[in-house]
Amino acid sequence: MKISKTVSSLMFLPFLLFFILFWMIPFLYGLYVSFHSWTVSGGNGGFVGLDNYIRILSPGNMYHDSFMNALGNTLYFVVISLVPLVVFALLLALLIENIPGKLKVFFRTVFFISYAVSVTAVSAIFKWLFTGNGGYINNVLQGFGLDSIGWLNNQPYAWIAVLAATVWWTIGYNMILFVNALDEVDDSLYEAASLDGANAWQRFWNVTFPSIKGVFVFVTIITVIASFNLYGQTLLITEGGPARSTMSLTMIIQNTIFSQNNLGMGSAMAILMGIIMVFITLVQFLIGFRKDDNA
Amino acid sequence: MKQTKKVKVILVIIASIISLIFIFPLFWMFFTSFKGMAESISSARLLPRNWTTGNFVELFTVDAASAPIMRWLFNTAFISIGGTALVIITNTLAAYSIARLNLPAKRLFMFIIVASMTVPGIVIVFPRYFNFRDMGLLDTFAPLILPYAASTLGVFLIYSFLRNFPRDLEEAAYIDGANQLQILRHVVFPSIKPVVATLSVITFILIYNDFLWPLLVTNSAEMRTVTVGIANLVQGANFVNPGKMMASTLIATVPALLIFIFANRYFVKGVNSTGLK
Repeated sequence: MKISKTVSSLMFLPFLLFFILFWMIPFLYGLYVSFHSWTVSGGNGGFVGLDNYIRILSPGNMYHDSFMNALGNTLYFVVISLVPLVVFALLLALLIENIPGKLKVFFRTVFFISYAVSVTAVSAIFKWLFTGNGGYINNVLQGFGLDSIGWLNNQPYAWIAVLAATVWWTIGYNMILFVNALDEVDDSLYEAASLDGANAWQRFWNVTFPSIKGVFVFVTIITVIASFNLYGQTLLITEGGPARSTMSLTMIIQNTIFSQNNLGMGSAMAILMGIIMVFITLVQFLIGFRKDDNA
Repeated sequence: MKQTKKVKVILVIIASIISLIFIFPLFWMFFTSFKGMAESISSARLLPRNWTTGNFVELFTVDAASAPIMRWLFNTAFISIGGTALVIITNTLAAYSIARLNLPAKRLFMFIIVASMTVPGIVIVFPRYFNFRDMGLLDTFAPLILPYAASTLGVFLIYSFLRNFPRDLEEAAYIDGANQLQILRHVVFPSIKPVVATLSVITFILIYNDFLWPLLVTNSAEMRTVTVGIANLVQGANFVNPGKMMASTLIATVPALLIFIFANRYFVKGVNSTGLK
């Protein structure tokens, strides 16, 4: 087929226009701003080179302190959310796979339904479940004659509330990824394993897991990225507290830009956060898909 | 055989218990919305002792100006549908152009598209807010709809699909004298329907659920999306009344739940082909 370059380009043009306007320009603008002293109200205050980055990375100023605090909090959340969101999701998927026909579809829908609830609705529900004074969980605890707990004002309870909301909200999504992967596993492999007298654990470890390993790594990677982007839950449920212990990176970047009026510093923080995320993803990818695996 | 039947019953019982845990927050939301304020902050009962529709009545009368939930629902529906349509049109055209047509520098474009997918959204979102502010377009529908069309995921998905798809039919249509747009519409589009359906659902949910972006670009009560509106209620003075809070959350959530149940099979099929959460 001989097709004119003009027709081909015209078809590509709408997308290209949107991409340049709403991705390329903001990307370059953010990069540019991060090398400048730049306030939201006053605009460009001059080129400062890597100064913003250096101040974030060297101790002894508030930007360093707030960024590092938020990075620590965010990494902490990434770590505590990983097992529930990945391993529990796989367990749910395995449970569902072993349930017959119509019930399987029913349970799959129930476990996945919370994904249709928006992050702010999830936060509204869980905030009122966990609120210290008048919250439902404390009402129930008191009903049993137990002491109520200041969930949102004390650690580790504040993280428990954020984690509960997040797991409830997103575990179903990961479970579906695993269910779809498990559906693809070749049944004849299980039959062969059964003939060899393998028990349930051996079948899982030698047949199931190697077959879904790619999806497992994929789910781990997207879960880490999602947890890294923690924002709505801690903004609404814990408001970053107690004592800034649930301030996430996104919250700190937003604060630096809008409350501290420092767009240059906030842009540098966003780019650093991006670099850290790309790095972590790359490491997971390399570990997950090592060639020398004995699988 | 008897053994496995027993195991299956146990598994179903376990799954039922877990289901109750999963469904509990939604039930709690539903029943709390029918409780009066005094009961909702003190009761350990799930079901209301005194059923009342007072929360809903207040939402649609006293609070109608500060919390116009139906307007928020309309906004969310409008931008989710408009944004999804825009993404599908631009991405399909672009992917078709790269995969099948004679686009100059297509390798470079494909490289940029894939490279951009590795850049986390946080790097883009704040500068893009200031771009819109400088254009004087904050608090309009423009920033709520247009930026989603810069999404590269769809181009990548459709391109990957087309690359592995035979082009015999398209060539036959070309020989019969059809032009590119006709071929795209009558030959290519029917065959890429599954991936387009998936992309639509994923994009729709992404826009519907987006929080940080619409929070940044909207100020006035009537421009908010449901997601942002509910956040404002959580942070606002009304929050002292869980019954009313849950009534507004319920109204905001029910349409999405209905769509979800209706489109469930597309979600289930769709999620594996993307990395979106």
